[in-house]
Amino acid sequence: MDKNEYDVIIVGGGITGAGTQRDCAMRGLRTLLIERSDIATGATGRNHGLLHSGARYAVNDPESAEECIRENRILRSIAAHCIDETDGLFITLPEDDLAYQKTFVEACRKAGIDAEIIDPDLARRLEPAVNPDLIGAVRVPDGGVDPFRLCAANMLDAKLHGGQVRLHTEVTGFIRHGDTVVGVRTRNLTTGVAEDFYAPVIVNAGGIWGHGIAELAGVHVGMYPAKGALLVFAHRVNNMVINRCRKPANADILVPGDTVCIIGTTSTRIPFEECDTVAVTPEEVTLLITEGAKMAPVLSSTRILRAYAGVRPLVSADDDPTGRNISRGIVCLDHETRDGLKGLITITGGKLMTYRLMAEIATDAVCRKLHIDKACETATTPLPGSEERSYEAVARKIWEAPSMAQKAAAARMGTSAARIQTGDHLDEALICECEEVSVGEVNDAIERLDATTLTDLRRRTRIGMGTCQGEFCACRAAGLLAKASGCVERERNGIADFMQERWKGNFPIGWGDTLREAEYTQWVYKHVLGL
Amino acid sequence: MKFNTVIIGGGLCGLTCGIALQKAGRSTAIISTGQNALHFFSGSFESLTEAPARMADLFGEAGIRLHYREGVRLMPLGTFRPAALSLEDISFFPKPKIGEKALIVSFKRYHDFFAAFLADGLEKQGVACRIEWLDLPELEQLEKSPSEMRSVQIARTMDRIWEKVVGEIRALVQDEDIIILPQVFGLKDTSVPIRIRESLPAQVVFVGTLPPSVPGIRTQMLLKRRYELLGGTYLTGDEATDAHVHEGRVHSIVTKNLDNHFLEADNFVLASGGFFSKGLKSNPFHIFEPVFGLDVEQAENRSDWYHPQFMHDQPYMAYGVKTDAALHALREGAPMQNLYAAGSVLGATRPEFGSGAGLAVRSALAVVDQILKTEAE
Repeated sequence: MDKNEYDVIIVGGGITGAGTQRDCAMRGLRTLLIERSDIATGATGRNHGLLHSGARYAVNDPESAEECIRENRILRSIAAHCIDETDGLFITLPEDDLAYQKTFVEACRKAGIDAEIIDPDLARRLEPAVNPDLIGAVRVPDGGVDPFRLCAANMLDAKLHGGQVRLHTEVTGFIRHGDTVVGVRTRNLTTGVAEDFYAPVIVNAGGIWGHGIAELAGVHVGMYPAKGALLVFAHRVNNMVINRCRKPANADILVPGDTVCIIGTTSTRIPFEECDTVAVTPEEVTLLITEGAKMAPVLSSTRILRAYAGVRPLVSADDDPTGRNISRGIVCLDHETRDGLKGLITITGGKLMTYRLMAEIATDAVCRKLHIDKACETATTPLPGSEERSYEAVARKIWEAPSMAQKAAAARMGTSAARIQTGDHLDEALICECEEVSVGEVNDAIERLDATTLTDLRRRTRIGMGTCQGEFCACRAAGLLAKASGCVERERNGIADFMQERWKGNFPIGWGDTLREAEYTQWVYKHVLGL
Repeated sequence: MKFNTVIIGGGLCGLTCGIALQKAGRSTAIISTGQNALHFFSGSFESLTEAPARMADLFGEAGIRLHYREGVRLMPLGTFRPAALSLEDISFFPKPKIGEKALIVSFKRYHDFFAAFLADGLEKQGVACRIEWLDLPELEQLEKSPSEMRSVQIARTMDRIWEKVVGEIRALVQDEDIIILPQVFGLKDTSVPIRIRESLPAQVVFVGTLPPSVPGIRTQMLLKRRYELLGGTYLTGDEATDAHVHEGRVHSIVTKNLDNHFLEADNFVLASGGFFSKGLKSNPFHIFEPVFGLDVEQAENRSDWYHPQFMHDQPYMAYGVKTDAALHALREGAPMQNLYAAGSVLGATRPEFGSGAGLAVRSALAVVDQILKTEAE
């Protein structure tokens, strides 16, 4: 068998692609995942990181709500190290209609979501950051989920099941035999090398870019790119997710995550050409701050770390060009039955929350085509790193007296943190002080998680995501990358790319301490380090 | 408390100003938050190629020798920049030559010095490089804490054991023409870099590390010591919070630590630095000067403060306090009679003074001249 032949090729390294690869690999298929950039670079890494309870959809979209709460419970057990079990509040402010609370709670209960009305006083005690003027509160099982970690863990497990991954590789075309797609043409964007890969089934999991991938195959998937803008605050001001108890609107979710918290989002239709370059506008920044401060007043005086935006891959039902009948549910298209093109499946729509279910649906479709009858096991098999639920227990199992950095590593990597244990101080030196990322953890991401650039490292380890936004860790980590790759020049240029990527999220909110930090960083890099 | 001049800001600019005035027999006080741009000083005065006589004297008397030679400086990431007036332990290359050999020495587990980048930069110029990592038992204590292997901590140890380290380096030298070392020598004892240079059998080049800058902290310490020897009052860890201004004259200023006492003076110098030093602050709508509420040059629309490319010149960096030709700070369009602005609170670059350390020193001396001239009149 040719080394470039597989049972299934998955295009797209977001959470849907990674999840699908894992599921396919666990069912014994030989898989290849191809991603144009890095893992989680699209909508996967550009959202709230909210582990929905489903409550947000309960009133208007009960089907999605039921999917969410089912997956919510599954993720808590299979992806423990990616989940922050915070619970969430749906608060009613004086300007909101308290009557909605009843409708909301009833809808939640119908969908199977445990929603409990609590006294505003109790809400203030549970979540001191909440707006003290609230007149109503409902507690739900919301949480936080780290999409980078989740994506990396899925891909790692796919690899442990024999899967192969090609990052920074673009699909440039499909290879067709008559009415059947039999492979893809690709180009490695780092080396420029072109290569063909073959498989009887190809899964398009390209998110909003799936639209363009389908076009390459000559089929049309009617999509609706909806941009959402978010802000990251430099402190974790809240410990519970805070939502507004009203019809879903702009900037009404505040999610704590690691050392920060995130407010979002907005929803604006944008042209496909802008999907690669979405930027946050000053108007969006103002809206997010104003609405955010209504939920947690302290936000009006909290430093903002970054602004960013993602594009939701919404699908227009029935190819409706106006986008009126937008579904947020899962869409799995078999292009054989739909368009007469054999060998291609598109999996899209859905949400980060429901990625596993999307993967299951896509993998079921793949297996039907390959006449394989094997049950899905992803709902019960923990991801690598999640064999143990409490990170402190994990840390204590690995280290006798875990340091702060070791606890941080265990929180990020779960049981996989054992991989970075050495008896030597060599691996314990800190590369990123803001996020307490050690040499060992960076090297692990390079060796086992396919990180080849500083930005890849950021997605896997959180370097450069803290308050200094990559001031020092970029150089240190570039040193480690240079050691691993031997390509010093490329890694040095990589520092400039990395700083540019950080700046992109800083200047839309460039005032106060953010501008202060930026001045320091720009001065140091240009005049002191000589970039 | 009454002084001839009160200076807000204890960095390179404020200290230069204070020393020059003390030398001229004026009583001064400096209010310093304790953190300033000297902590990430590259060791070079970017915009200068020679020291004005007065500057050379002033620094020389503080024990800081400056030098300049045509050539290039090797930057920490392995790039080259034109030589500029520099501290004596910053070395210049007459131009790296093809066929030369360099030995780069660093420490095991030290990640703030970029030997591989330096080697790459030199090799592109035809210089063959060899990297050696010293494993010193004396650094073991630092290694135990994952965030302690930083330049200043290492420099503290090196002040004690540098002779032994030089011995180890000497044993490593084969036939190299150049030995490259991180700037972690001579934190307190300024003679150390010079003595290292004399005791090794090849040209020694000290190259910068990630901040904090050891030569910068040493410079700060020497200037402060000199200033205090001249009788200056250096208030560390304090901050000007408010000012009493009457009819365009500053009468006194209020600080965080001096509760009900005011600092009175005939003249005031604002040398409080740029954004990093909090001499300039900003909110979503304005860039402002926090102590006196002075006029600050800026684009009206926030979107115009930045260039979307990180490496491009950033408009906001050029913003600063407006002054008249004599460096009197402007408030509501009118010059304050006895308040001068100097250093990067003027903006990172001023055509007449250059940028960075050059701007700090030259504008400080210009303000001193102005104060003395006004008094004489």
